[in-house]
Amino acid sequence: MLAGDTAAFSAIVERWQGRLINLAWRFCRDRSMAEDMAQDAFVKAFKALATFRGEALFSTWLTALSLNCFRTSLRSRGPVTVNLDLWRPAGLEPSALTTIENRERDELVRQLVATLPPRYRDPMVLFYFQEMSVAETARVLGLPDGTLKARLSRARDLVGRRYAARMSDRKGSA
Amino acid sequence: MDGVDLDRILSSEEPLSPSSGFAAGVMDAVRTASEQPPPLPFPWARFLPGVAACVIWAIAGVAVMQGIENDDALAIIAGRLAAVAPELGSVAVVLALCLMPIYGPRLTPRD
Repeated sequence: MLAGDTAAFSAIVERWQGRLINLAWRFCRDRSMAEDMAQDAFVKAFKALATFRGEALFSTWLTALSLNCFRTSLRSRGPVTVNLDLWRPAGLEPSALTTIENRERDELVRQLVATLPPRYRDPMVLFYFQEMSVAETARVLGLPDGTLKARLSRARDLVGRRYAARMSDRKGSA
Repeated sequence: MDGVDLDRILSSEEPLSPSSGFAAGVMDAVRTASEQPPPLPFPWARFLPGVAACVIWAIAGVAVMQGIENDDALAIIAGRLAAVAPELGSVAVVLALCLMPIYGPRLTPRD
């Protein structure tokens, strides 16, 4: 319906830009890279718009297409690295220090998810992204619900173990 | 850290807002992409006759070789080839006729 219509496609970009940038961000943890990845996904979606038959929700179709695009980008740009800046200003109040530590912990966990192998990373990112349901996540990934649940469980285990190992390293080096 | 912490951390991330020029940049990229010519399709119309010609020539070659494999005198090969030359010539004519509709228009002058 909209294939080749750039004016109409601008409405799609306006509507979905936030979702695609945030999805890309969760894969790469780099804002500039996330916008580049989202732009590539939009261009690919524009070219593929004629193949959208309306059998799935547009959001499902766009998310699946973007996910493929992001995987290709991530493969060509190399692995995501975990990089936390542990510098803290001197003389912080204990409450402020706790806030910073909590933020660091949260960011570490999110980076650990981004560094998982793709078979665990993709379900984890999609499932928690805008709180997608198991069924919707499974549809986007083309997996049976049971396989998705098993991968989510394994992914949670991996993140938990890697987080514990990271904390243990940090205590050892402190 | 337990599963509840993990769920909370991964579900509570602050969303990013797109940069001010993001949508305009995307639309520029989309317009550039839409102005590019579509990719050239694979030239099956030329590829398939070429493959068919190779197969026919290979079969013809095997047939010729089978005809002479029991003869130990190379001197008679020329005679054998001469004997099958009309068949090979027929194959060549058939191939030429097959390829003419494809390549013929390229050989005629354009105005």
